[in-house]
Amino acid sequence: MLDGLLTSLDGILLGTLPYVVMALCLIGTIHRYRSQAFTYSSLSSQFLENRHHFWGSVPFHYGILTLTAGHLVGFAIPRSVLAWNAVPVRLYVIEVAAFVAGLLTLVGLVNIVVRRLTDSKSRIVTSGIDWAVYLLLLSQTVTGLGTAMFYGWGSSWFASSASPYLWSLVTLQPDVSYVTALPWFVKLHVIGAWLLIGLFPFSRLVHILVVPNPYLWRKWQMVRWYWDRRTIRRAE
Amino acid sequence: MLRRENRKKRAFLTARCLIVGVAVGSVRAGSIGALFLVTMGFSGRASAQDAAAFFRQNCASCHTIGGGRTTGPDLKGAHERRSRAWLERFILDPPGTIASGDATATKLQREARGVVMPRVAGVTPTVVGQLIDLMRAESALERSQFAGMASAQRPLTRADEALGRALFSGARRLEAGGPPCMSCHTVRGLGALGGGRLGPDLTGTYGKLGGQQALATWLASPPSLTMQPVFKGHPLTPDEALGLVAYLKSAGSRGGAAETSSVNFVLLGLVGSIFSLVLFDFTWRRRFRAVRRPLVTGGKR
Repeated sequence: MLDGLLTSLDGILLGTLPYVVMALCLIGTIHRYRSQAFTYSSLSSQFLENRHHFWGSVPFHYGILTLTAGHLVGFAIPRSVLAWNAVPVRLYVIEVAAFVAGLLTLVGLVNIVVRRLTDSKSRIVTSGIDWAVYLLLLSQTVTGLGTAMFYGWGSSWFASSASPYLWSLVTLQPDVSYVTALPWFVKLHVIGAWLLIGLFPFSRLVHILVVPNPYLWRKWQMVRWYWDRRTIRRAE
Repeated sequence: MLRRENRKKRAFLTARCLIVGVAVGSVRAGSIGALFLVTMGFSGRASAQDAAAFFRQNCASCHTIGGGRTTGPDLKGAHERRSRAWLERFILDPPGTIASGDATATKLQREARGVVMPRVAGVTPTVVGQLIDLMRAESALERSQFAGMASAQRPLTRADEALGRALFSGARRLEAGGPPCMSCHTVRGLGALGGGRLGPDLTGTYGKLGGQQALATWLASPPSLTMQPVFKGHPLTPDEALGLVAYLKSAGSRGGAAETSSVNFVLLGLVGSIFSLVLFDFTWRRRFRAVRRPLVTGGKR
């Protein structure tokens, strides 16, 4: 009885939920862009408070971007990841680097949340959906770090278990058996990721789509001040 | 006023997105429904499977029919040794039968060195009936197709052990493309940060499963729910299985369990994180860290 219930729950959360959230994410994202393009922003509160913000935003973004890229590589080229990990030292380098990125994400996220709670100006501009995203991100970071600590080596077994599961979803032949036998802690991480994708179009996460990437390779710009600020202040 | 308007607008937009999502979900209800059925139905798939294929995938890793004892007993003539009703009850729920205090089930568990036969996914009364019929039919044959790996009893060599070590770590790829054992398992003597921790430490597996033939048969089609989907399309060759048996036998002979490496792993992570934070601080030491504060301090000069 309980086994049947858990099997059904696995089927719904790992087999059906991904399609629902991906449809919601795709349609919601397009719809929001077409009707309210100017809300595509991170709604930065950097101008309201900048000291604490640095220790939140910078570690968080370096960490989360590294981890997201790692997950995408594991999904896209699993055979190459396994080939890389065939030499234990290389496997250890990847795993420790990912763990460091996870810790940086946690440090950044905790700073972000504490800042939003303690700085009155930042708190005012924080909406309910922001708190929901922070909560989910915290849960994802904790379950991710826990998975790395207690269920390593994720970079290898992701390539042989999670990657085929994700490809089975992409090819519309869902096979949840790859992940149903994983520990509940790991499954919580997978389900949390689907929920985050579902929240994507309704939150400030959409800023991921409008990052000014050309800043990375555009020509540098020199700013020259043709006046001496101190002289001007004295003149006033 | 403007803020309230914006909030209203945002709530309206969110509601519209949800409605559109649900509407499209309904349009795709056919396909999503089908997907739902596919995912929900995987537990019932086994009933439709051919009994021989089911046996090969789920039972052959621990049992032979006429090939001698491996982890579990040889099932040749099992239908004559036990009543059909008992077999049906036990195969449907082995842990439950043992827990009920059944004397035969308890004796079987003792003979299997304490290894408890798990509940097999997809086993229904119909499947159990088909399996018992299969055992009866295969027992009547001179050599059953489930008599076990012919090569599983040949003497193990140093070359087997070296091959096993390379296969375990992934230095040599498995022929059918399966992932290396080290992804999920560790073993004593692996060194540095050791192997994976998703699956159990395999140091004592050779002894626990009952020796060479049992372990080789187990590896030929691993029955664990985590390994089954991963290896179903990438089975080990007999030589690979024997290589791993030789490596695990050697690892087990050293005794004890694998060295714990989690603490070192966490420490390395902490050192790396602190270094990164210091690096951030150094890189952006001239960063514009506030708006008003520098203006105020600058104005006072």
